[in-house]
Amino acid sequence: MTQMHPGDGVVATGVQRRFGAVEAVRGIDLTARPGEVTALVGPNGAGKTTLLLVLATLLVPDAGHVRVAGHDPITESDAVRARMGWSPDTFGLYDNLTSREYLEFVGAAMRLTKPAARTRAGELLELAHLVDKADAPVHTLSRGQKQRLGLSRALVHDPQVLLLDEPAAGLDPRARVELRNLLRQLAHDGAAVIVSSHLLGDLEELADRVVFVDRGVTVGEHRLDELPKGSQSRPWRLRALDMDVLVTALTRNGYDHDAPTPAGVDVRLANDEAAAALLAGLIRDGVPVVACQPLGGQLEATYLELTQ
Amino acid sequence: MTPNGIATVAHQEFKLRIRAGRWRWLLGVWFAVLLLFTVLVTLAVEQIDDGQAKDTGIVIYGSLVLFVLGLSLLVVPALAAQSVNGDRERGTLATLQVTRLTAGDIAVGKLVDAWGTGIVFLLLTLPLVGYAMTRGGVTAGRVLVVTLVIALLLGTISAVSLCLSSLLSRTTTSGVLAYLAVFALTVGTLISFGLATAITTEKYTETSENHCPSRTDLPGMPTAEQDKILSGCLPGTQSFESTRARTDRTWWLLAPNPFVVVADAAPKIPAETAADRAARQAREERGQYQTELRDVDPLGSLGRSVRTLRDRPERGFTYSSEQQERKAVWPYGIAANVLLGVGAVWLTTRQLHTPSRVLPRGQRVA
Repeated sequence: MTQMHPGDGVVATGVQRRFGAVEAVRGIDLTARPGEVTALVGPNGAGKTTLLLVLATLLVPDAGHVRVAGHDPITESDAVRARMGWSPDTFGLYDNLTSREYLEFVGAAMRLTKPAARTRAGELLELAHLVDKADAPVHTLSRGQKQRLGLSRALVHDPQVLLLDEPAAGLDPRARVELRNLLRQLAHDGAAVIVSSHLLGDLEELADRVVFVDRGVTVGEHRLDELPKGSQSRPWRLRALDMDVLVTALTRNGYDHDAPTPAGVDVRLANDEAAAALLAGLIRDGVPVVACQPLGGQLEATYLELTQ
Repeated sequence: MTPNGIATVAHQEFKLRIRAGRWRWLLGVWFAVLLLFTVLVTLAVEQIDDGQAKDTGIVIYGSLVLFVLGLSLLVVPALAAQSVNGDRERGTLATLQVTRLTAGDIAVGKLVDAWGTGIVFLLLTLPLVGYAMTRGGVTAGRVLVVTLVIALLLGTISAVSLCLSSLLSRTTTSGVLAYLAVFALTVGTLISFGLATAITTEKYTETSENHCPSRTDLPGMPTAEQDKILSGCLPGTQSFESTRARTDRTWWLLAPNPFVVVADAAPKIPAETAADRAARQAREERGQYQTELRDVDPLGSLGRSVRTLRDRPERGFTYSSEQQERKAVWPYGIAANVLLGVGAVWLTTRQLHTPSRVLPRGQRVA
């Protein structure tokens, strides 16, 4: 992991932005350090996309202080654009170009020389597993391929800061794993990566830090390994060789459980200690338990707690 | 704004345009329509001139120019009127704005693409212009000036259409408004000129002195006849009221009209040579009068009539003497159109500037 330089990465404090009567962002604070993946998490309409537009030099905030890669996106937008890559939640691709032509065009728009743009396009096509589709028109690409091309576009100029709005939406499981590995690699190489996403399971394995936003304000900012241990109960899923025995044991011991499904039976438990106690009790009673796992993970639990 | 940035955008836009449409068909139809027009005009002219008149090219070329201008004004708005808001709809504009291309690069690049496409249409008429030149009377200078002026006007229309596409979020609205802008420039100028002239028409009093003849002025006439004339004549001044149009105050309303600009800017056709004049006079002495095609030059006559409007009225009507060198209208028209185009590009650039503070209603950044 690279050393944090003062002024690098992304620092946003007290960002506000309204559209007419709608207060899209009412006060978001966010820090994203180089070498780390920062997850931006929150319900639809929480202001994630608007915040990313401010960081991406597209919107002037009404209030707040923003630095991206050491520069002010409002007064030094060109300096920021030279160091920042942004990928919107829409593809924003030209249907009638080929992937290669498109990346070469973005290279030219980023002021790479023609040979440099060509070389870079080749590298990115390889990185995005699009080599065999390189000369096919974009409209023939699958959703996942388009998503990867959109990400490649943001990487053309090797940015220090990467802003990705819902990059994994609609990707198949393998593509999501690949995306995760790619983003980890980019962070490892020193980029500050901000990812907004609803796929909390993915983020749990990808992000170093997470910023929770709700209704336009930051409601929590944590390292992923230091997520607050939830004060609220969360569901755990149990499975046994004989489900009837399990359900009977749960009922007998007064546990509040849902109706069993082929996947198992869900029980609400206050914390890890309660889960351990339940498991110990079941085994003592001779229930043939084969699985006991928290549902949704820590990130989801925190998310549900912080956002209403 | 850099030449490289503009070229990058223009090249990209042009590539996308070629791939998106059926251009071979469109250009083919365009040329076919103009070819048909040229053939029909040629036939019509030959009908009039019974094969004797020279310089039939003057009429063929003049009609062709006005026709091409009219058709171009129908084609060009469509080339730019959905450029910016269409990109917004497809989400491609924002991805362009976060690159190092400036708002000026994007605006001018898009203009170059639309304008260049319009000029391709214009250049496609050159073979027919070449044919008109072979029919005599059309100088290379005239063709050059007229082509350049039309090209310039297409630039104005492109810029205005582009500007509308940056101001309005819906592509259909900007498309309709672009055609309304062309309508305003062509028919609107005419209507406003007509109305303004009617409104500014003034009453004036004309006085004339009645000079009565004396008997010595009517020698040899019977006295009874003389009495009849003299009794009917009241000496002294007479005045009567009348109205007159003050087109010298309203002509400028017509100046931006593309047809007026092109017609008035077209260099005059070369003067009749001494030999031709002698031949014509000889024919006329034999009683063979025929339509002189140089007198029905569509561009020249339109230009002349607009210039005439600039004259101050004298005694109720305007004298038009062909010898008098009249003041040109086209410099004002060109200036107005250039100003309009430059203003439109400036406004487009401002609309494309990011980070943006305000967004058009109902519009998303990305």
